[in-house]
Amino acid sequence: MEGKFQISDTTNLLRKIKDFTRSIVEDLAEGKSPEISINRFRNYCNDPEADCFCSSDEPKGREILTLRKTSQTYRIDMLLRVLLIVQQLLQENRHGSKRDIYYMHPSAFKAQSVVDRAIADICILFKCSRYNLNVVSVGNGLVMGWLKFREAGRKFDCLSSLNTAFPVPVLVEEVEDVVSLADYILVVEKETVFQRLANDMFCKTNRCIVVTGRGYPDVSTRRFLRLLMEKLQIPVHCLVDCDPYGFEILATYRFGSMQMAYDIESLRAPEMKWLGAFPSDSEIYGVPQQCLLPLTEEDKKRTEAMLLRCYLKREMPQWRLELETMLKRGVKFEIEALSVHSLSFLSEVYIPSKIRSESLPVTNLI
Amino acid sequence: MEMCFQILLQGKRVTQRELFYKLLCDSPDYFSSQLEVNRSVQDVVALLRCSRFSLGIMASTRGLVAGRLSLQEPGKEAVDCSACGSSGFPISGDLNLLDNTIITSDARYIILVEKHAIFHRLVEDRVFNHIPCVFITAKGYPDIATRFFLHRMSITFPHLPILALVDWNPAGLAILCTFKFGSVGMGLEAYRYACNVKWIGLRGDDLNLIPQESLVPLKPKDSQIAKSLLSSKILQENYREELSLMIETGKRAEIEALYCHGYNYLGKYIATKIVQGKYI
Repeated sequence: MEGKFQISDTTNLLRKIKDFTRSIVEDLAEGKSPEISINRFRNYCNDPEADCFCSSDEPKGREILTLRKTSQTYRIDMLLRVLLIVQQLLQENRHGSKRDIYYMHPSAFKAQSVVDRAIADICILFKCSRYNLNVVSVGNGLVMGWLKFREAGRKFDCLSSLNTAFPVPVLVEEVEDVVSLADYILVVEKETVFQRLANDMFCKTNRCIVVTGRGYPDVSTRRFLRLLMEKLQIPVHCLVDCDPYGFEILATYRFGSMQMAYDIESLRAPEMKWLGAFPSDSEIYGVPQQCLLPLTEEDKKRTEAMLLRCYLKREMPQWRLELETMLKRGVKFEIEALSVHSLSFLSEVYIPSKIRSESLPVTNLI
Repeated sequence: MEMCFQILLQGKRVTQRELFYKLLCDSPDYFSSQLEVNRSVQDVVALLRCSRFSLGIMASTRGLVAGRLSLQEPGKEAVDCSACGSSGFPISGDLNLLDNTIITSDARYIILVEKHAIFHRLVEDRVFNHIPCVFITAKGYPDIATRFFLHRMSITFPHLPILALVDWNPAGLAILCTFKFGSVGMGLEAYRYACNVKWIGLRGDDLNLIPQESLVPLKPKDSQIAKSLLSSKILQENYREELSLMIETGKRAEIEALYCHGYNYLGKYIATKIVQGKYI
């Protein structure tokens, strides 16, 4: 997060890397195997009573890697190789993606997943985020609206061009001077919905910021959203398709992903609200029958798996109810189905009325 | 056509997905899938000899540009594309806007980059300051806006060679050919924005620069693309040879394979190839 991890922290991390390596060498010199303790994290489980500790960010167990087992030796070997590359990145103040790292020694790494696992291990070991290791990937997110900020010396003046899409910055820790008069942040699943809002000049009549991850949100989009939430302290609403994939995206924004469970704090949006689309919306807003597509077998399996997740039971039972309704009805629909009667329905009626009803004190807040 | 007419009358634009849903409700007997809608759109484009954009269908912002270039949109300040942070400047999907943008540059080369990650690496390392150039990427298969922009660049700066940096696989070559000749899937719209693009890398004679492990087997889809490219009459001989080599060895390689020599190797690689004039 901005201000928390600066140049001095890079120096700290480099020192920690040296200390860690030294302790391994010392252990080996004494003829004994080093013991590397790696914590395990998860952000949900399938416990039916939700009687678990998943809501806490604390580790749920740990593994101890030693040189006594071959498989663990391999894992330590990969960890050290990646650590060497990370050290170089930090020393040279460059950034690389997970893929770039794989390509530096494809014969040793053998597969991308090996590199991914090593990076996760390193982050857990040194209690830091991936970007602290200077491991970043190009981002895919877009933002527009009532916002101004700077990233790596470049000015992003979204306010001057309210309906132009700006790329979400990749180096979120270098974002400064965030200024905004927006009333809320609207996160949309799809780029096409983002385009619709831009075309309808949504931000001219609604003082807000619109963000999209263009599908499943990547790390930089999630971090950027988190930054905006922390800096601006305004409500965040999420608009996804009424289908299992849309719900998965909503859950990723709100609860984080299992893969990045070790870094959950900086990647999730705990107060995000689900604006729509709900299964009930299809009746309320007159979605024609032909636009209601049947759930496939894959969809049903996915939905059933999501219904088992403990965080839904524990934290958002209303969301779980809507998901169950979707499964029961056996149909799904996309946001675009709402615009069938009028292209500007989404921006002129649906979104503003949903947001208005959100701000009433006594309502079925989802 | 009628649907687009009505939408244009309202002064609005529509996405292809929205068009699908409207047609699904309006004429359910004629349209039952997105694919049918897309095909009809292509037919209309061919019939009326217009662009998809002029029918009111929205194009997404996919392409990025960075480097020794300055862009000035009507009514706005000029933007210096060499000071664009880590991400590059997005190429607008609005062709009218692109047409009216004032472009100035002191670059000596235009370099097309297939992948976003490679583009990002080159921009982060400010390679355009070592080699005076402009980097453009469509982040994969080229969209109409990026092709339009490239075309404008080639007309505005006719003496700048356009060099393409793609993966050594049939898909990479297909992307190069789309910029060069146009896209088969786009019917008549295609040829309009064709440019004289040359292939700088990754090529067959670079294979000695990459480790063996980076040569991975071709996927079935690659073979299909290769066949389709080879059947095209306009494909030049040296491109055919490259494709044949791929098929014979059954292998492909990504640009990232060059990273085994270190990060800054990519810039040196491009510079060497330019200096030696090794592009086809």
